[in-house]
Amino acid sequence: MKMQRTIVVFALGVAVALLAGWVAFPRALYLQKQQPLEFRHKTHAEKSGVADCNECHALRDDGTFAGLPAMEKCAGCHSERIGTSNAEATLVDTYIKPGNETPWLVYAQQPANVWFSHAIHVKRAGLTCTECHSTYGESDQVKLYEVNRISGYSRDIWGHSISRLRRAPHDGMKMSDCEECHRKHQVEVGCLGCHE
Amino acid sequence: MKVTRRDLLVWGAGAAAGIAFTPVPWKILDDVSIWSQNWSWIPQPARGPVEVKQSFCTLCPNGCGLRVRTGAGWPVGIAGMSTHPITRGALCPLAFAAHQLNWHPQRLRAVRHQSSTSSWAAAQAAFSKACSEGKVVVIDGYAGRAASQIFEAFAEKRGSYRVAASPETRALAPYESWSGVPANALGYDLENAQTVVSFGAPMLDGWGAPGRFTRLWAERAAGMADPQLRLIQIDASLTRTATKAWQWISIRPGTEDALVAGAARFLLEEHLVPANGPMPPLTLVDAASQTGLTTDAIRNLARTIVAKPPVVAIAGGNNPAVAALNVALGALGQTGGIVLRSKQKKVYESADAVIPKARAVVIDSTVPWDFVPRTDAEIFRFAAWDGGSNKAEWLLPAPGFLEELTDVPTAPTSAVETYAVAPAVAKPTAEVHSAAQFLASFDAELNSTDKIIHARCEEIFRARAGSLYGRETTPVAQVASAQKLEEQLRSGAVWVGEPLKTASLKSNLLKCNLKEWPADTRPERSEDWAAEWPAPVLPPLALKLYQESSLREPPERKTV
Repeated sequence: MKMQRTIVVFALGVAVALLAGWVAFPRALYLQKQQPLEFRHKTHAEKSGVADCNECHALRDDGTFAGLPAMEKCAGCHSERIGTSNAEATLVDTYIKPGNETPWLVYAQQPANVWFSHAIHVKRAGLTCTECHSTYGESDQVKLYEVNRISGYSRDIWGHSISRLRRAPHDGMKMSDCEECHRKHQVEVGCLGCHE
Repeated sequence: MKVTRRDLLVWGAGAAAGIAFTPVPWKILDDVSIWSQNWSWIPQPARGPVEVKQSFCTLCPNGCGLRVRTGAGWPVGIAGMSTHPITRGALCPLAFAAHQLNWHPQRLRAVRHQSSTSSWAAAQAAFSKACSEGKVVVIDGYAGRAASQIFEAFAEKRGSYRVAASPETRALAPYESWSGVPANALGYDLENAQTVVSFGAPMLDGWGAPGRFTRLWAERAAGMADPQLRLIQIDASLTRTATKAWQWISIRPGTEDALVAGAARFLLEEHLVPANGPMPPLTLVDAASQTGLTTDAIRNLARTIVAKPPVVAIAGGNNPAVAALNVALGALGQTGGIVLRSKQKKVYESADAVIPKARAVVIDSTVPWDFVPRTDAEIFRFAAWDGGSNKAEWLLPAPGFLEELTDVPTAPTSAVETYAVAPAVAKPTAEVHSAAQFLASFDAELNSTDKIIHARCEEIFRARAGSLYGRETTPVAQVASAQKLEEQLRSGAVWVGEPLKTASLKSNLLKCNLKEWPADTRPERSEDWAAEWPAPVLPPLALKLYQESSLREPPERKTV
């Protein structure tokens, strides 16, 4: 009887821990944040005829990646309101007219000691944008930004699967993900390749 | 049912066991390690647009091409410029981390007068007074720059201009004294040499432009039993170059002259070389007893030297005996030997000589820190880093690494003329003035560096010779305008001149007035290659790569 009770209590402890670890912990770890604006990639592609990611997320002449487009790029079309949405009003009144850059929360933001060259991966290796960034460029709503309360980086870096066991190919941007892809493509890069 | 203490312990044990099967411990471990990299007191590079700018290293006269990655306008990483025609992307360990030098604790951030903090106004007043009282000598580290032109113009009116030459240029000084051809106009045609005999020059460890000889050696010698390029290293100890050389000849320290004389005498007596130059007085037996080699070893060395021409002998510093060997070998003015790279005729006075009757001496920041002028005059020394004790009354903070626009003339050992413009990539981290700016503030007639660079670009365009090496190689004759040429040079292109005609080289260089074999040829100044950059002023990454991994031979191992 005593043994049976011990097993039940132990199992209860295990169950609570599993529940906490797999369900409660991921929810508690990440803080959800809203982007400053609602942005629709799909709408931009359809209405403005922007079909290629490179048109807004361009590589500069020196090979560096410009990242998110600067305000001047948006101002090309949105110098005045061209819609009635709240996002349009915020974009024009809060950012474009006063000349402020939109403080986008960057899903793929890496630590300062990491140097990633988009030019090498896109031009030399021939990778497509979706291989790392999924089909976000075709989405019709802004993706939820979840920040890790401890590390301060986006959930996209670790990936959405907390166990990292059954991940989609584009899920996760940790060093092990880089290494895995390099191993797969048999491309060797030393430490200074990314951490110069 | 009553919950007992035992139940709580068992439940806790179960929870602990269960938690090990969740991502909690592993995820927290990972996150905490990342969190610990981002503590508020850990310096972080500024976040901002990442760009890559082309510039040139100014830490030594070789001017290697750099690709400088900047974040929010600050340099955060350095790589070699693969389009550079001489260095071809190679850099020394120091250059790779040089952007950290501007933040070095020993960065000179304020004017110092006799070890006390002073001001620019006080320094200017003191220099103005010195100028009115007597002669001013200006000492330059890298001659031929736009700043050098300002120094020369200033010194012409108020005193004299001297150059503290690099060890590579000092090795060419004997030819200058024998033929009148300036050492600055000479270079080594290593690309066409088949045998290189190095007398203590660290050919694979810091000699000349990093990458030039190492790449030639890698392409034509590394791993080959009978290499296309034979490197014979004469060194007292097994230096890093000696370990990789085709042959290492170990001799007693300081007996290079005797070995050179013995080998040259054998070559001349056996008519293995054209009868150029005088016969060395030292016999083979005497040479053997001084060097610690056998006479047979010296004979074999001599035969090996001439077995695979073209051959050139290279000294670690000013060694007239090695220069005389080159005369005997007929290496002067020959393809694969010592060649004339420019028509420049100006011979600069050496800064090593005693400076008599000067009131003030201005030392540019390009002069190595360990250089101390032989003078009693008041010294105004420009430096970006305070390397420790020195004889200067005034220490004046100069722009640090890539903090000022400068130009890069031909590297000391280059076989062809080159010219590049190194734009400022970093913002100055202190109130700094270059020696050229300082002198120009006393003489309104002096041009600015910017204007001189502009004039030089126009000069290159007008000459219509050579090519520009940038993303593409373009002959200057095909460049549309002087403005386009200047734009390209200011954005990282390198101008490379055309090699001079061999016939004119020969006639110029073979007039060497060498009547007797040079006597006592010990250099006046020891050539301590490891101390060319003062040891305390190294960036942290260079400390690791440059010192801990022994990429450079420690000074204590230089002498055996």
